[in-house]
Amino acid sequence: MDTFLQIVALLAVVLGTAFSMIGVLGLIRLPDVYTRLHATGKVGVFGVVLLLVAAPMLTPLSFGKALILIVLLLIGGPTASHALASAAYRIGIPMHRAIRDDLAAQLYREDVK
Amino acid sequence: MNEVLTLVLHAALLIHIALLAVCVWRVWRGENAIDRLIGADLIGTLTLAALVLIALITANSIYIDVALGLAALGFIGTIALARYIADQQIF
Repeated sequence: MDTFLQIVALLAVVLGTAFSMIGVLGLIRLPDVYTRLHATGKVGVFGVVLLLVAAPMLTPLSFGKALILIVLLLIGGPTASHALASAAYRIGIPMHRAIRDDLAAQLYREDVK
Repeated sequence: MNEVLTLVLHAALLIHIALLAVCVWRVWRGENAIDRLIGADLIGTLTLAALVLIALITANSIYIDVALGLAALGFIGTIALARYIADQQIF
């Protein structure tokens, strides 16, 4: 049972590190503020949460703390991403090769490309 | 099995520190203010991941308390800075 928990924790650590690497790769390579936000949201939600899933299997004392931190990350990470995207849209940062902008039609703002 | 686990945890910690260096470079050479703010937010998240990995390596759950405080304060800081950039005021 102990070896099984260690194998599961090992898989979770490797998968979380892979998500973090993909997120930072997207931060470098993607062309636009909004697409970069799409990539970096995965680091907070999947990367750190998978590491925290591995945490109670290896250190026996930290189950409640890891659960509180997972809930805080799942609430706070998407909220911060939405706040950043809203701020970027409101100060008029252009989108890269956008075909249509539904939010501009919704807000009657035709000056924002 | 235990040696493999220790090796993987140390390698993951090294990878996270290298990713932190990439994010610091991104904050330094960002295109605009929101771009740099995304980099700063990602620095907070990756520091959180590094603290969890240190807690796993040392088998000491006090580092998860530090990560809890960092998550709460970093979330509030990102929200406040985004609102300040968009509206030129916080309250």
